[in-house]
Amino acid sequence: MQLANLNEGMSLPELRKLVRQESINLYAQASGDFNPIHIDEGFARQTPLGGTIAHGMLVLAYLSQFMTAAFGQGWLTGGSLNVRFKAPARPGDNITVSGKITKIEQEAGTSTVHCEVLCQNQKGEAVITGETKVKVKG
Amino acid sequence: MAESPRIAFAQLVIGYELPPNRFTLDGATVLTYLRAVEDESSLYQDSLVPPMAVAARAMAALGEGMSLPAGAIHVSQEFEFLGTVKVGENLTSYAKVSRKVDRGKIHMLTIDLDVCKAERQSVVTGKTGFILP
Repeated sequence: MQLANLNEGMSLPELRKLVRQESINLYAQASGDFNPIHIDEGFARQTPLGGTIAHGMLVLAYLSQFMTAAFGQGWLTGGSLNVRFKAPARPGDNITVSGKITKIEQEAGTSTVHCEVLCQNQKGEAVITGETKVKVKG
Repeated sequence: MAESPRIAFAQLVIGYELPPNRFTLDGATVLTYLRAVEDESSLYQDSLVPPMAVAARAMAALGEGMSLPAGAIHVSQEFEFLGTVKVGENLTSYAKVSRKVDRGKIHMLTIDLDVCKAERQSVVTGKTGFILP
C-alpha cells in the first residue's frame, strides 16, 4: 500500500486461515519444533489441553503474512510486532487475522504506520492480540 | 558432533547468553515452511526467506539451548525485521536472558534474540516471554 492511500482508523484486508494438523506437522519440520503437544495426538489428549494445538509461531506467521499482503517488502525490512498469545489454536479452527491503522507518524522520507492487530478463532475468541509497526516510504 | 547440554531454567540468570546457533535455511526447508503456513506470496519465489521462517528457526534454537519446566507457556513475542535473508545464507542466532522474575509460584522469563548474517548484521531481533509454574 502507498502512504497516500493510508488513513488512521482504516482497516486492512482480512486474512483467513484454516488450521490443519497437516500444516502443524509441516511447521514442525520447517521450524525444528517437535514438541509432542503439537504433533502427537495421543500424547496431547492426555494433557489438560485435551488435544494438539498449533505452534503459537505458526499463527504468528499468519499475522506476518497479513502484514506482508498489506505492505509488501517494506514489512520484511522495516516491520515489527509486539504480541500476546491469548489462547491456543487447534486443528479445525478458522483463524481470521484483522487489523486497523491506529497512527501514522510522518517523518522525512519515511513514515511509520502503527496498527492494532488481532487473530481470532471462529468463536470470536482472541488467539493473538498486539501491535505492529511498519516503515512506509513517502 | 556432540550436542551441548541444555541449561536448566533454575540456572538461568539475567545476562546469561546461550551458545550461538549457526544455521542456514535451504530451499526445501523454506518450501516446507511456505506449505505449512500456506503462503503463496510472489515475494518468496525468488530465493527470499520469509522473516518468520528465520524467527521460527531461532526460536527452535532456544529449545535446544535451554530446558524449561513442563507447563511453561510462551505468552508474548516481539520481533523486528531489519533485513532480508536469502535461501542458503549463513545465519547465527544469539539469545540472552534479559529478565527473570519470581513472583510467588509464578516465574517470568524474557529472552532477547538477535539473528545475524555475516559480520553480525542483524536481520531479525526480538524478545520472547514465558510464564512458568
